[in-house]
Amino acid sequence: MFVPHSEIDLKKMFEELSISSLDDLFTHIPETLKLNDGLNVPPSLSELESISDFENLESKNTQDLICFAGGGHYDVYLPQTVKSLTMRPEFMTSYTPYQAEISQGILQVLFEYQSLICDLTDMELANASLYDGATSVAEAISVAINKTKRDNVVISSGFNPNTKEVVNTLLDRNKFNINYVDLVNYLFPEDYVFSENDAAFVVSLPHYEGSAQDLTSIVQNAKAAGVITICYADPSMLGILKSPGSMGFDIVVAEGQSMGSPLSFGGPTVGWFATRKELARLVPGRIIGESRDSKNTKTYVMTLRAREQDIRREKASSNICTNQTLNAVGSTIHLSWLGPEGLYEIGYQAIQKASYMKQLLTDNNFNVLNLSSSLREFLVETNKPAEEVIIEMGSKGFLAGIKYDDNQILVAVTEKRTKAQIDSYVDSLVEVNSA
Amino acid sequence: MHSGGNASSLPLVGGAPEPTINQLSKPGRRASRFPKLDVPVTEINNSAIRNDKPSLPEVSEHDLVMHYSRLAHRNFAVDVGFYPLGSCTMKYNPRFADYVAGLNTFANSHPSTPSAFTQGNLKVLHELGKFLIEITGMDNATFQPPAGASGELTGLLIIKKYLEENNLTNKKDIIVPDSAHGTNPASAKMAGFNVVEVSTDVRGMVNIDDLKELVNENTAGLMLTNPNTGGLFEENIMEISNIIHENGGLVYYDGANLNAIVGVCRPGDMGFDIVHSNLHKTFATPHGGGGPGSGPVAVKAFLKEYLPGPIVEKNENSYEWYMPKLSIGRMHGYHGNFLVALRALVYMKLLGKEGLDTLGSYAVLNARYLSSVISKVIPLAYNEPCMHEFVATVKDLKKSHKIKAYDVGKALLDKGFHSPTIYFPLIIEEALMFEPTETQTVDTLDDLAETLKAIIDELQGEDVSLEEYPKNLPVGRPNELIPAKHLTVNWGDFELLEITE
Repeated sequence: MFVPHSEIDLKKMFEELSISSLDDLFTHIPETLKLNDGLNVPPSLSELESISDFENLESKNTQDLICFAGGGHYDVYLPQTVKSLTMRPEFMTSYTPYQAEISQGILQVLFEYQSLICDLTDMELANASLYDGATSVAEAISVAINKTKRDNVVISSGFNPNTKEVVNTLLDRNKFNINYVDLVNYLFPEDYVFSENDAAFVVSLPHYEGSAQDLTSIVQNAKAAGVITICYADPSMLGILKSPGSMGFDIVVAEGQSMGSPLSFGGPTVGWFATRKELARLVPGRIIGESRDSKNTKTYVMTLRAREQDIRREKASSNICTNQTLNAVGSTIHLSWLGPEGLYEIGYQAIQKASYMKQLLTDNNFNVLNLSSSLREFLVETNKPAEEVIIEMGSKGFLAGIKYDDNQILVAVTEKRTKAQIDSYVDSLVEVNSA
Repeated sequence: MHSGGNASSLPLVGGAPEPTINQLSKPGRRASRFPKLDVPVTEINNSAIRNDKPSLPEVSEHDLVMHYSRLAHRNFAVDVGFYPLGSCTMKYNPRFADYVAGLNTFANSHPSTPSAFTQGNLKVLHELGKFLIEITGMDNATFQPPAGASGELTGLLIIKKYLEENNLTNKKDIIVPDSAHGTNPASAKMAGFNVVEVSTDVRGMVNIDDLKELVNENTAGLMLTNPNTGGLFEENIMEISNIIHENGGLVYYDGANLNAIVGVCRPGDMGFDIVHSNLHKTFATPHGGGGPGSGPVAVKAFLKEYLPGPIVEKNENSYEWYMPKLSIGRMHGYHGNFLVALRALVYMKLLGKEGLDTLGSYAVLNARYLSSVISKVIPLAYNEPCMHEFVATVKDLKKSHKIKAYDVGKALLDKGFHSPTIYFPLIIEEALMFEPTETQTVDTLDDLAETLKAIIDELQGEDVSLEEYPKNLPVGRPNELIPAKHLTVNWGDFELLEITE
């Protein structure tokens, strides 16, 4: 399959190599290592046969759940224009643009990606993508540690538990201490005192629980103690929230799924990473720069390569090689499609619809725990265990949210949700919760 | 000659630079439209809300589509021409996988959806795991790592945790060949190990004498590809893995070169304890301009409980997530690059036994043939039978005519071929590393060899200015110093530089 060799081709190639069979290619491999009977795998399927095979497999997933789950991944509308342009084979089937002269397409898209993210976050330098939001947080912390040479990391507890697990895995806990700071009334305490041992202050905007606050004064306090400040932003809220740069942050990272990637069961998505130019040489991953060729024509090229693993080896700023370029292409095209009005609209409608939903829930005697500080995502208390509620809501056609605690569900609303869906969700939740 | 892999007809040529999307922006234009808000408006009071609109381009949908379509035209790709980039396995990516990856709940499942509602997705990972385990000769797999380098780090963290659990924390040395990919030492460092380099012998293989000297009670493990980065099969692999095991270390298989041995032999039978696979190389998922990839890790049964998770387990009537008891933790926010894994499953099912049993054989056949015809043009680095890739060197041409590997690569671009990998492995002077993969025809291989011959003849000409190559493309060789020195990494940066200088 996909191997083009005809009998005539094989004859020609065997003659060139003075062999008479494919097995003759491997006379130098010890006999004891060879697979004499081949692999124990199912027989080949034609494309026609495998259509039903995969459609059948897909049908084992519960179909058409209306999504009220968030936690970093959001059911934002992904326009067909973005999907089909991103899937252009010239983007999809190329590799890292090592040869700039025949890769100006992907290089320019990535340069635009970096520039768009800098404009949106008020930063000066973005890289060309990391794996996802969670790993981006860990990479940002590494930059802060390398910059400050300090060994304590202050992180807000208001993060997706999975993100915390990734940070715990990727950071050497024998060398560095991670200090999770509890939110107070779902907000980061304004009076938190930073120490001279703190390398990084990491906080989410909005917090995982959905509450948001202007972080300017906390960032100021952290910076006064020489701490590198890291904001984990929600891209689909950046049209309506103050930019992390305007709040003074040094580094901005994000889970970029909602800009240009379908939900994809969590991957592939893209990790955004942007910072100020003074940290340029500590940045992980690829960076695209604008230059000129010998005829003074605009030319894009990978730059600051001396940070990367293929050149610096064990002294590299990160081990990342393959990244999430195609998802970064998606972010670029989606942001350009949205424009300032569109990105604002996504945030505005999500918040308005969430506000309507919170009121409706309250009217139906539900307790919304962070009613006033939350925006598009919030915590609802349930009588029944959250897990049961989510399963029962599933049978009514809703992905009700993410279990937050035994009797608490994290509910997210995007611009895609309609009043009818929200009304129906609340009706169903009343039934499920009282049954 | 006519060949399917020659892209010299490509309309990449077109002198004018493409403006940026920002230069195409005009106030008041927009592509996006949304349904009218259907709930009553309430006042939003929050100190984090901004008072102005974000800074983004304002373009029409048609302008947007034309712009990105033109940029697509300025890009070489596997779908456009032959991409013999060594160590990258740029094989054909089946179009059919696009269809499957676009199916509703595959593409659109929220990652927090409970397993009760995502049995299809869990089954995808379980089935792909079975294929991978069989192909690599291992026992259990995780799909957490989103790329090869992440797979390497996973493997190293498993080694670290395993040694900690067995009170062997003195073991801090990870041995890596001097020919290894840069990710190997970078990952070892990230995991907190010391990197110890083992040299390569004259035949191009791990220097066993050197290895014996380096191994001691502090050896935590060895990272190795087989075939190695020179494209040669490490014939003494059993001795190598025994040396490490006898000293209480673990042996890690870097799956970068797995394509050479699929259906031929298995890392698990060679003494490897941990294996990562690059689904974007061996199993034909698109490289996406540099990603996404997927770097699942498979281990022998004694390491199962160390795997990052959760991993999928099959119960009597269902598939469930399982967090291994001694797990190193999580390598990804959710389940790794699920849609990439799905595409790899599509590829494996289409190939099935017939295709997978012969996959490595055809990959090696193409490389061996290409090495044979290219060796008549430029010498090979090693006089050994190559596997799926091989290294040639132009060090003699550099001496005689100042022609570097870089120049040969650039001249090839003009003729409709991607350059081979150059200057890798680092231990070979003026290296050109070719990996044709199994999906190219013999015509394309012949065409590349003939083109290479013509180029080398041309570059040796009297009045040739090497810096002028490539000549037929929209841009010539870029000045690489300007962006590195002045950090022109955003639109506006370069113009600002021109104004200030």
